[in-house]
Formats: sequence, structure tokens, C-alpha cells
Amino acid sequence: MSSTPVIEVIDASVSYIIRHGASPTLKETVIQSLKRQSHDVEVKAIQNLSFSLNPGQVLAVIGRNGAGKSTLLKMLARVLPPTKGRVIVRGNVSPMIELGAGFNGELNGIENIVLYGTLLGRTPKQMRQRATDISAWADLDESINLPLRTYSSGMVARLAFAIATDIVSDLILIDEVLSVGDAEFQKKSRQKIEELVKSNAAVVLITHDLKTVRAMAHKALWIDHGRAMKYGDVDSVVDAYLNA
Amino acid sequence: MISKIYDSQAKGNQFVESLMAFWQYRQLITLLVRRDIAVRYKRSLLGLFWTLLNPLLTALVLWVVFINIFNTKLPSGTQFAPYLLAGVLLITFFNQGLTQAADSIALGSGILMKIYVPPQVFAFAGAASNALNFCFGLFALAFISLITGDGISILFPATLLVILFMLMNVTGLGLLLSIAYIRYDDTRSIFAILISFMMYLSPIFYPKEILNPVMLAVVNANPLTSFLDVFRYVFSNTGNASWADWFYMGGFSSLILIIGISAFAKAWPRTVVMM
Repeated sequence: MSSTPVIEVIDASVSYIIRHGASPTLKETVIQSLKRQSHDVEVKAIQNLSFSLNPGQVLAVIGRNGAGKSTLLKMLARVLPPTKGRVIVRGNVSPMIELGAGFNGELNGIENIVLYGTLLGRTPKQMRQRATDISAWADLDESINLPLRTYSSGMVARLAFAIATDIVSDLILIDEVLSVGDAEFQKKSRQKIEELVKSNAAVVLITHDLKTVRAMAHKALWIDHGRAMKYGDVDSVVDAYLNA
Repeated sequence: MISKIYDSQAKGNQFVESLMAFWQYRQLITLLVRRDIAVRYKRSLLGLFWTLLNPLLTALVLWVVFINIFNTKLPSGTQFAPYLLAGVLLITFFNQGLTQAADSIALGSGILMKIYVPPQVFAFAGAASNALNFCFGLFALAFISLITGDGISILFPATLLVILFMLMNVTGLGLLLSIAYIRYDDTRSIFAILISFMMYLSPIFYPKEILNPVMLAVVNANPLTSFLDVFRYVFSNTGNASWADWFYMGGFSSLILIIGISAFAKAWPRTVVMM
């Protein structure tokens, strides 16, 4: 494919410092610097990662808990800047790192559609026009006029998913959100993602469900302790991960 | 849609970019301010009036306690009630605006770690919603000024400048505080004390006339004093604000905003990972 990649990650690392022991206080920091001793520990969440992703491709990221998968997704979502290396993301991003982040319990469904959509970079006017369709896709019926705190967690997830996938983004970031909700919603949301991929959206998918990985992904990346263990063809990466 | 290409190594002027973000995200800011007011309104029966009631009751308590002590100390022609309410309203804007601006980032990991929006936008929205509350409070102040016979000055549109400078001040300081709050757990209590120092060292409920020369110098060095002097002068033509007060208020606020935005942009990448 000759198209420009949506994602280019070039030798990127994310590390952060955790202060040893108790919670970080100014007092502790001053005392430590006076004593010339440091209890700081550097955690390398992502180490020297490189890959790229083209439009219409699905990349599955697999690995054990704490391997750095979510940190990677946050780096692609622009919320965590790489400490070293470079990340380039071209186009609009729909982050689904946690469904419902940014919702307000006191506001009703429609108001939350407008707020969440605007947080994602759309205009309130666009969102008001799309509100009916979004609420219909999420099967919310009359609940759309009730405050969000009255919703079940499944309803919140459906609404957030419907808003994030309402327009075709260039990149969709998914952290385990395809495994929420009932069987019917899981099927529906998977179909929606497949539709978006057909219309050329790139997807980065984090999941522990290897069946989904084999069914949906074009490429896979296995990371452990922030390092790429294997990257490339889905079956060979998944097999290597299972045999590890 | 905003920012089509993200390049983590792109080098730009972070100060200019932050200011541009306020403009680019203006619709989100409007929405956040409206949500703030709406949520406050829905939460209680008294609604918006409750937001107003807080400074009004504070002013009432101070009035009952201090009326006999300070009434005669004020410059002639100045009534204690509007003097006091003006002080309480402006300080509420400063104090609550600062808290909200800083916490919108420091306690905002729910959104900030999941969806990319320049965090400065949330601080500004927090400050702006307190500016709006202050504007509602001006109606109460106008009412009190009129019934006590203090009246309203023809200069009162200049109050907008006071609001603008306080907005800059609160946004800049709020950004600085948010970084401190995230990095060090104990700075919250340290700054709470510093902020209350700043408040007590400004003429909110006492007239400057009661101060000895040393304390007067200290109080006059406090930028909040210039804010209060100018506000009372332009709103109800009481007290006197000199050009020096205007310059101090404007200069201090501009400087704080520049320092706040620049330092925040610089510190944020190393701070966000601590959330």
C-alpha cells in the first residue's frame, strides 16, 4: 500500500519515576536532596518500540497484565508523550480507552452526547444533530432524557461506544471495550468496528481474547515489560505468545 | 476537528500554542462552563441562588461582627455593606476560581489520561465559570449599593477589566498549583495557608485606614489589594485607585499568566505520568 501510515512509532520509550515508599511529598523530596540520597525508581513502561500502521489495518496488541499495553495506547492517544523517540499520528483519533470517561452523571444522555463529542473534537452543533441517531444505535429509548447516573453500566458503555464510533475516524483506539456488555452488544460493536475498518479507519486493539485477535486483526504486536517480543503476522505472533 | 497531525517531536512556541488552544477549544470551554452552572443548578433546589448565597451569607456574618468597629473608620461617603460585599465577591472569585482551575487538572485524570484535550483548557474553563458566578454576584452588589445610598459609578463598565485580569491571574496561578499538587501531595496544605495569608493581607473586610504604616505597606504590596481598590473604585466610586493600582493589577496578572502557561507547558510532559 502506498498510502501514508496513520501511525508511525519510531524507537519510542515512556518511562516515569516513582518515589520509593510513601506518597510523594515536598518534605520528603527536600529531606532526600539534603541527605543526597534518592529512593527514586525509574519505571520503563515502554522501551524502544517501533511500528507503523496503515489506513484500514487492525493491529492487535497482546501481552500479560502490566506489560505496557495501556501505556502504549495512551501514548498513541496523545495523552502520554514519549520520553524518548517519536510518535506521529495522522488524522482524527477516537480513543476508547475507558468507555464513559468524560461523562457527567448529573447531565442527561443528550447533554452527555454533546459534551463527550466536543471533548473528542467535534462541535456541539454537529453532536446535537447526531444525537437522535446515536441514542437509537445505543438502544437508549426514553432513558436518553434521564440523568446518566440512572444508567446501568451497560447503557453507559453503549452510549460511549456509539458516540466514539459515530463518525469515521482515521484511528480508533480500543482497550478491552469490545468485551463489555451483553452478547448482543458485543456482536453489534464488533460489526460497527468492521464497518469502520472497511471505510479505511485504522484500529489498535488491546484484548486478552485471542479469538477476537485472530478474527479481526491484520497484524499483531506482543509486548512484555514494555518491549516488543514479536511483531507481524497475527497467527505467528499469537502462537509465539501462547507458547511462551 | 482539531489538530490533524500529531508529532511528538514537533517544536513550537508552547506559550502561543496554549493561547491558541483557548481559542480552538472555545466551544468546549463554553460547554464546560455551562455544564458547571447547570450541574450546580440541578444539585439543589435553590439552584443558582445557592452559588450567590454563599458569599452573601459570608458577607452578612462579617457585617454583623464588624459593623460597629469598622463603620466609622471608612472614608466618609463609603458604606460598610457594599464595601464588604465587594471584597467578599472578588475574593470568592479568586479563591474558588483558583481551587477549581487547579483541581480541574490535578483531579482530572479521569478525562486527561483518556482523551486528548490540552489540560490548560480545563483550567481556563474552571476560572471562567467562577468569573461568571462573580458576574451574578454583581447584581446583588448593585442592589446593596443602591439601597445603602452608595450608588453605582458611571465607570462600572470598567469592572470588565477587573474580571479579565482576575481571570488571567486565576488561570496562571491555577496552572502552577496543578503541577505542584500532582507532584507533591503536601503542597495542597502549604498553598492553602499561603492563599489564606494573601486573603487576610488584603482589605476584604477591614478598611486600610486602621493599619499601621508597616502593615499598610505589606497590604499595599499584595496584588489583591490593587484588585480590590480598583474594583471598588470603578464599581461604586468608593476609595481611590491610583494608576499605580491599575498597572500593578494588569502587570501582575499578565506576568502570572505568562509564567503559568509557560511553566505548565514545560512541566506537563514530566508531570502527566505521575497522575
